[in-house]
Amino acid sequence: MSAPAFQSALARLIVDPDFRDGVRERRGEALAADLTPLERERLLAVSVDPGLDVTRTLHKGFRLGKLLAYLPLTRALFDRDTLAREIGEFWRRRPPVSFYFLEEALAFCEYLLERIEEGELEVRYLEEIAAYERAALELQRSRPDGSRPPLQVVEFRHDPLPLLAALAHGEIPAAPERRCWLFGALEDGRLEWRLAAE
Amino acid sequence: MRETAIPRLGVGLAYQPALRPFIEQKRDSFDYLEVVPDILWTDLGAGRTPRYVDDEEGLSFLRRMAAGRPIIPHGIGLSIGTAHRFNRDQLGQIEKWFSWFDFPWHSDHLAYNLAEHGADEINAGVTIPLPRDRETLECLAPRVAEVQSRLAVPFLLENNVYFFDMPGQEMTDAEFLNALCEETGCGLLLDLHNIYCNSRNHGADPFRLLDEIDLSRVVELHVAGGMEHEGFYLDAHSGPLPEEVWALLDYALPRCPNLGGVTFELLGSWYETVGSEGLETELRGLRALWNRHQPAPAPARMEAVA
Repeated sequence: MSAPAFQSALARLIVDPDFRDGVRERRGEALAADLTPLERERLLAVSVDPGLDVTRTLHKGFRLGKLLAYLPLTRALFDRDTLAREIGEFWRRRPPVSFYFLEEALAFCEYLLERIEEGELEVRYLEEIAAYERAALELQRSRPDGSRPPLQVVEFRHDPLPLLAALAHGEIPAAPERRCWLFGALEDGRLEWRLAAE
Repeated sequence: MRETAIPRLGVGLAYQPALRPFIEQKRDSFDYLEVVPDILWTDLGAGRTPRYVDDEEGLSFLRRMAAGRPIIPHGIGLSIGTAHRFNRDQLGQIEKWFSWFDFPWHSDHLAYNLAEHGADEINAGVTIPLPRDRETLECLAPRVAEVQSRLAVPFLLENNVYFFDMPGQEMTDAEFLNALCEETGCGLLLDLHNIYCNSRNHGADPFRLLDEIDLSRVVELHVAGGMEHEGFYLDAHSGPLPEEVWALLDYALPRCPNLGGVTFELLGSWYETVGSEGLETELRGLRALWNRHQPAPAPARMEAVA
């Protein structure tokens, strides 16, 4: 039975542009061997159908909207091209797995922090803000056993108060340097942050 | 065979969190709320126990709204057409909702979004069309039967919108939908805006399609607005109904003898653009059309293959 292989390839044509391009350029070579001739014919036809690109646009719009809704402050730090490049690379490494995007947003924060650590990415305040939003998401993560999320600690090198306030309005301020920590916890279902400075 | 009464509910509104103020303040403008239940739980993934975490705040809102207003679930996560496995864990969630809201029918999409990806799965986040072939029907039939065996109310599948078509399919849209209903006993949630989209993008006559579909299987209609994008017309749920969809509704309503309701879908992010008055105007127009064509108060009955 090759229906699972056919569905897998059709879904990949939508979500994976490298795979789609491979099918377009090398025709059938990029497709699995266990497809029927009719399934191959269908996949090849879809790969060059303009409707595939529209479907991909809808897929991307849905995924992007959900991801960025979880990370409004991180999003505010980026210019359009850099953000598109980083998300594109992140998605290349991580296929979509769920309708629920909190885990993907957490993974994107991890990805950004790794890129900074590797010296591949330099965006002002990003290390602090990605760590802050990651911590906030950890606190919001569903815990079916009802357990309390662990305390979150985020280190800042700039004063977080003007920084977070400005980013919430989509602005990037010139925040003064200040080494401090935000301690985050979930109190009665609400995120509570406390500041501790050196 | 068994028969199930279909109440004639009237005009429904598709729930979106952004519509809450409207839903609370304008409760007389609609007769039922249709809710995508998947947005009111979090699925932690197969193999997790418990797998689903309910959104208690969202459910609390719905319970308040459910007083005097039916809540109809319209799922997006069943992925009933996925070939490699059936996401039956989701049925447990729908059963739970049935115990809470006692709905007269429920629905999901005639499509798939989950597919194998190596040892894992991908979720495309969009409803991917299924080939209109006998093999697809053979995959769907036992799954529809399982849904029907677990919930004693009609189960509907919604006709899909698609932007690409596949060569060599064995059936037309109408033949496929008719065979699906005939062979599985499921009902149809006929989305007229999807029909309009497909007709615009693929050049078919939507009225002819309505003539070819067995409309006695239609329990619910969907209507919405959309938009143009790069030469395609999208099912974007982005505003008022286009004139052509009003015309399709006017044509379909008197021809659906077992209809329970017609639901207006508006994406929450477009609510600000449409506005409270604009939304109320659409619902008022739908109710006027409903009252003109569906005046009979007697409950419809739908036959389902047991």
